[in-house]
Amino acid sequence: MSALAEILFGGLFQGSLYAMMAVGLALVWTTIGVFNFSHGVFMMLGAYIAWQLVEIGLPAAVAFPVAVVVMAGVGWILQASVVRPLIGRPNIVLVVVITTLAAGSLIENGALTIWGPRSKQIPALIDGNTTIGGVGVSLHQIAIIVITPLILAALWVFLNRTRLGLALRAVAQNEDASHLVGLNVTALYGLAFAIAASLAGLAGIFMGGYRFMSPVMGSDPLLKALIVVVFGGISSISGPIFAAYLIGFFEAACSYYFGLYWTPALLFGVLILTLMVRPEGIFASRSRGLA
Amino acid sequence: MTPVLTVEGVTAGYGRVTVLHDISLEAGRFGNVGLFGPNGHGKTTLLRAISGLLKPKSGSIRFDGQDIAGLSARAIVGTGLIHVPQGNRLFPDLSIADCMALGAYSARARPHEAENREKVIKLFPKLAQRWRQRVRTLSGGERQMVSIGTALMSHPRLLILDEPTLGLAPKIKDELCASVMDISRGGVPLIVVEQDIEFLLELTQQLYLVNHGAVATEIKPGESLDHGEIMSMYFGH
Ligand SMILES: Nc1ncnc2c1ncn2[C@@H]1O[C@H](COP(=O)(O)OP(=O)(O)O)[C@@H](O)[C@H]1O
Ligand SMILES: [Mg+2]
Repeated sequence: MSALAEILFGGLFQGSLYAMMAVGLALVWTTIGVFNFSHGVFMMLGAYIAWQLVEIGLPAAVAFPVAVVVMAGVGWILQASVVRPLIGRPNIVLVVVITTLAAGSLIENGALTIWGPRSKQIPALIDGNTTIGGVGVSLHQIAIIVITPLILAALWVFLNRTRLGLALRAVAQNEDASHLVGLNVTALYGLAFAIAASLAGLAGIFMGGYRFMSPVMGSDPLLKALIVVVFGGISSISGPIFAAYLIGFFEAACSYYFGLYWTPALLFGVLILTLMVRPEGIFASRSRGLA
Repeated sequence: MTPVLTVEGVTAGYGRVTVLHDISLEAGRFGNVGLFGPNGHGKTTLLRAISGLLKPKSGSIRFDGQDIAGLSARAIVGTGLIHVPQGNRLFPDLSIADCMALGAYSARARPHEAENREKVIKLFPKLAQRWRQRVRTLSGGERQMVSIGTALMSHPRLLILDEPTLGLAPKIKDELCASVMDISRGGVPLIVVEQDIEFLLELTQQLYLVNHGAVATEIKPGESLDHGEIMSMYFGH
């Protein structure tokens, strides 16, 4: 009983964080057709901005939303500076890998300069602990497990039930046709980046509430998010969400039965097998589009 | 009648390749305009330059007196100049309903959304039956209807069609021709690029032969030609 509870809980928790990260990566890929390698840095920056705001005396309930909004601005600016100028180039995918890696490294070192290497922590969403099914868990983690699906559902409603969401799905499918119905394609690209950065920043705040933060805290989650989108299929956003939870459960089960040490190796084993059988990812359709 | 659209000395291309060489033409003085000519000679490029997908290197494009050369595609949609691109690729994973909503996205078109939707359904009743279906699951003819329907949702003051009958069966072509004729009768002037000369002769009053990125011949109303003569112009004498 407690084994099942532990795996279930660990899977839901890790899956939530992966989903938050992966969905932004997938959103940017489907709309603009580029991979954003500064996505992990967005996560770190969100956590540090939240930390700074709490440090100057704001209550967490104000600091966290403000940090998320600031991250939207950061995403927009990054898009305008290192992605937008390259749009239309035939080799954009590779060039943007380099420009976003470069920008990410710049921001990472900037954070190191401003905030120093000492580990920091931000307040938990909810303080305290409880036991479920014989497993001790923190209320912070439970909050994350509950909040994440709500946010992802809100994103789904935005994409599928609003006019602006429709416009985002449209640019993801055909840029010329989007221009020809009068969409502001540049602004929509900025919006995709802004949403992705906000979600990553929120994931950073979640993480900073239960683990020590450092300027490189985003690199492992970025790697995991990449695995999730490759595994789930990069052509949609529902694929990566399912994949995120699946990988969360897989990791939780692996570390329970084989230990943390073996988990990455097993994960990559499964990933490689998946790509051999279904190169487009397990949940993917063959086209690019937000759904 | 004064022309609705005037293209004057437009030069445009892709990168260092120049496709349009100082091309000039007028539309709307004698009714609908047809463009024809061999493949790869710049018809699509001209339409892309007119609708703002491509910035002309030089020259002027005036729509209803306003110079639109160099404006963004979005701003040009806002003037009511609507371009239906070649190849009806559209939005493959959106439904017909979604496409219609996108057609009415611009501030200019939005107030007319309901009324234009009625018009589209009346013109293409087939679309109503497949309203929630994804575009990729439709036939070529149906996709072309969605393309044109989306353009009508944009409340066009001038409609530009790029090879609307490309790849369609003769029967579907005739149906489409009748529908496009209806649109024209409803008061929307047309510029049509077509390989099918019969289709052009049916729909348009003035023809331009585009060759090597320039106008080779203009055929005004009254100088009506028969099919044979046009074919011989097409392939050179
Ligand atoms: N995106 C593009 N990039 C580079 N060259 C292009 C592009 N599109 C068209 N061309 C070239 O421009 C020329 C004119 O093409 P186009 O305007 O499509 O002709 P048409 O519509 O008359 O068949 C052709 O030589 C074509 O190869
Ligand atoms: Mg063409």
